[in-house]
Amino acid sequence: MITSAPLWSVLVVPALLAAFAAAAVTADGLLAARAAGRPLRAAVAAGPLAEVPRLLAGQRRSTVASDALLWRLGVLTVPAAGVLAALVIPFGDVTASRMSAGVVWFNAMEVLTWAGLWMAGWGANSALSLVGGYRFVAQGLAYELPLMFALIAAAAGAQSLDVADIAAAQSHLWFAVWMPAAFVIYLVSVYAFSFLGPFAYPAGRDLAGGVLAELSGADRLALEAGRWLLLTAGAGMAVPLFLGGGAGPVLPAWAWSAAKTLAVLALLVWGRRRLPALRADRYAELAWVVLIPLAIVQALVPALVDLTR
Amino acid sequence: MIVIFWVLALLAAASGFMVFRFSSMARVTIALLVSFLASGALLILLGLGYLGVVVILMMVMEMIIMAVFMIAYMMNPAGLMPMSMTHSKPRARAISVTSFLLLAAGIFAVPWPRRAGAPPASPTFQLGAALMGSQMLTMVTLGFVLLATMVTAIVLATHRGRSGTTPRRLPTGR
Amino acid sequence: MDLTGVLLRAGAARPHVLTVAMPGGTAVRLAAEQELRRRGWPPAATPADADVLLTAGDPAASFAAVLDAAWQAMPAPRVRVQASRPGELAAALETARARLGDGSAQQALAAGTGRDAARHGDGGAGSHEPARRHRDHHGHDMGGMDMPGGLPMADRGADRDGLRLDQLHVPLGPVLPDWPAGLVVHLTLQGDVVQHAEAQALGPGGGGSFWTEPWRRAAAGEPVTTGEAARRRAAANLDSLSRFLGVAGWDDAATVARRLRDDALAGVPGSRLQPALHRLARRIARARTLAWLTRGLGVLVPGDAEAAGVIGPAAGVAGDVTARYRRWCAELAVAAGTLDDGSPLGPAGTEPLDDLRVPAAAVLAALPRLLDGTELAAARLIIASLDPDLDDLPALAAVSHDH
Repeated sequence: MITSAPLWSVLVVPALLAAFAAAAVTADGLLAARAAGRPLRAAVAAGPLAEVPRLLAGQRRSTVASDALLWRLGVLTVPAAGVLAALVIPFGDVTASRMSAGVVWFNAMEVLTWAGLWMAGWGANSALSLVGGYRFVAQGLAYELPLMFALIAAAAGAQSLDVADIAAAQSHLWFAVWMPAAFVIYLVSVYAFSFLGPFAYPAGRDLAGGVLAELSGADRLALEAGRWLLLTAGAGMAVPLFLGGGAGPVLPAWAWSAAKTLAVLALLVWGRRRLPALRADRYAELAWVVLIPLAIVQALVPALVDLTR
Repeated sequence: MIVIFWVLALLAAASGFMVFRFSSMARVTIALLVSFLASGALLILLGLGYLGVVVILMMVMEMIIMAVFMIAYMMNPAGLMPMSMTHSKPRARAISVTSFLLLAAGIFAVPWPRRAGAPPASPTFQLGAALMGSQMLTMVTLGFVLLATMVTAIVLATHRGRSGTTPRRLPTGR
Repeated sequence: MDLTGVLLRAGAARPHVLTVAMPGGTAVRLAAEQELRRRGWPPAATPADADVLLTAGDPAASFAAVLDAAWQAMPAPRVRVQASRPGELAAALETARARLGDGSAQQALAAGTGRDAARHGDGGAGSHEPARRHRDHHGHDMGGMDMPGGLPMADRGADRDGLRLDQLHVPLGPVLPDWPAGLVVHLTLQGDVVQHAEAQALGPGGGGSFWTEPWRRAAAGEPVTTGEAARRRAAANLDSLSRFLGVAGWDDAATVARRLRDDALAGVPGSRLQPALHRLARRIARARTLAWLTRGLGVLVPGDAEAAGVIGPAAGVAGDVTARYRRWCAELAVAAGTLDDGSPLGPAGTEPLDDLRVPAAAVLAALPRLLDGTELAAARLIIASLDPDLDDLPALAAVSHDH
């Protein structure tokens, strides 16, 4: 029975999200070290976290004729989107904000990344930065509709848009088991809206960092942290949507939530390095012609199940 | 509650006004987006949570797509040269002030019904049923037709590729 | 407790290094990449992300302006070091780390550069260093219209639908990650579609490529074993592959390729190296996603190849990007078999100098037509799949090719 926590819990959400994101970044650093042939030691694990003091002490740059308002606003929107999206994720039996349309709120907050990255790309007045911002819009057009239908499938399975109801409706069988297409589309979309892994091409190395090309100091930290916060929020949301929430034997609900979130995060961090960067001009048609019908058909499955019940 | 309402309402009106004051197309689009976000927040405040969040969701996507077109087709997209977005000012002023006064008069003159009983458990459901209840099948069919049209348009557009029907090369004419 | 000092010292534990390879500095660049990988210091993709500017090789006069621009674009705290030989690297990097963590030195540097920025006269100077690597070069006189930073308005050009859209002149400059050293490609972009490309080689040239050194030495009469030549060939293919995979966004595979390249050059026995090389070659050649992403890009038909002066075995470069990287994998598999061969690389076994590596002059001549009408990501993939080594070029001040 998921209850809404008091108002001060809104401050706990960013801290918890940052903790999980730090774990993800550490795991990613360990995987990178293994690929580079370095021995895995504690110092190696702490390596990526040294980015935080380095960027905090760094100087922020400005460019000629930049749109500073939009630039800074865009850079701040990305981590804000991650934190806002995480407000509806239940942790065990507690959620910071129990909204009747929690799934739609999550969708709306991750869509804020569209605005954030476009502004961050535009504001720098740099060709490579602008191309990176527009690449994200192209990527967004491709992933957004399949993601929406995957979320609708999960909501239809529980006949409710409330995240708590969706978690409770999986007491017999996880949605990931009988709606696998929706689960896979959702995980792929998590990579896409956090522009990591195979969908990192808005911040790609071929563009010298794309949207990150002209950022330094606290701005860069905000955008980099924003990516990982979004990934963590996506992983956290997968648990009540498809993996049964905090339900499980023996352990308390919050332990199950944490364990499942870490499992999904581990999967996402591992999968991030397996593929080259996918380009929107190659998969745009695939996304619209294959993924959307697949997602629609998948959304029909719980609807039919409900009709026949 | 009243305070939040007035803050959001003034924000929506002010950023809507700024749409016509900024010279930069990018800022114009973002100002319009802020106005829409404030309107969505007002809907949430009125108890229509689902509608408000859907307005926020849709408007962010639509404004960014609109930004792409505005930057592509408008001259002076970054507003580096000062530009005026208003034309035939005296007539426009007269029409807008008159419409505002008419609407305001209408709002205050209409006999609004008094609330009888308590708000329904799901105001969104009630609103949806009242608007679309008798035509639900039509609505669903229309939705699918719209989606099919969009997918077809995308397929036709991407089939030509980025460089049109010529094989990945523009005629350089040199 | 000085908070900034604490943050500086903590951040100096893992600085990001921007390596700029000079002409003739390939050996130093390879050693630098290996050293950075060993320490776990990430290579910076852009000056905005860099703490250390490392000049690999003897500084060339033509690069002075480039290095200064990169230095101006770097935010504080920053350090500039130079290494002319692989042996000097460790000391240079240690000096860099020490200077980065030194708060007072960084403050002095920051105070000094405030005056430097004003002197260089970058448009629209403020207290920060306003620098853009990519700037609108086209000098149209706008006749009195006051644009910020003195930048002219973008000119317009026709696009395929008959519209007139803005054009940007963007140089894909010498300081880019996974980019051939000394190459500058001046692009005219509409959005991210290339309308026009010009290739230019910075740097004096004439030094001879690092990758064909064993054959040059054998031709000069020195005793060179087949194994050494095979190792150099394998390392060349691995280097090209790693840069291509970096551009394609597959960082893990690129790191593995770099590791094997360093192992091959360091003399790791063939028995250990050969299975790893075969595994990598098979994995890349069979990667279906990579093939799907690169199919049909940068098609060089055999007629084009000959017209551009690409003859002999190197004419196998014809085909698209997929065919080219698969050819590297095939050559890698072949070279892996003879890594420990001790037989001398005599005249009987000597292959022609410009054997399987495409001469850089031919690549520069072919680039404008190859890049026309492609989008930016495809352009970078095409250039990475050709991977010209500009040390090949004869000693001219600058060689410029355009159509």
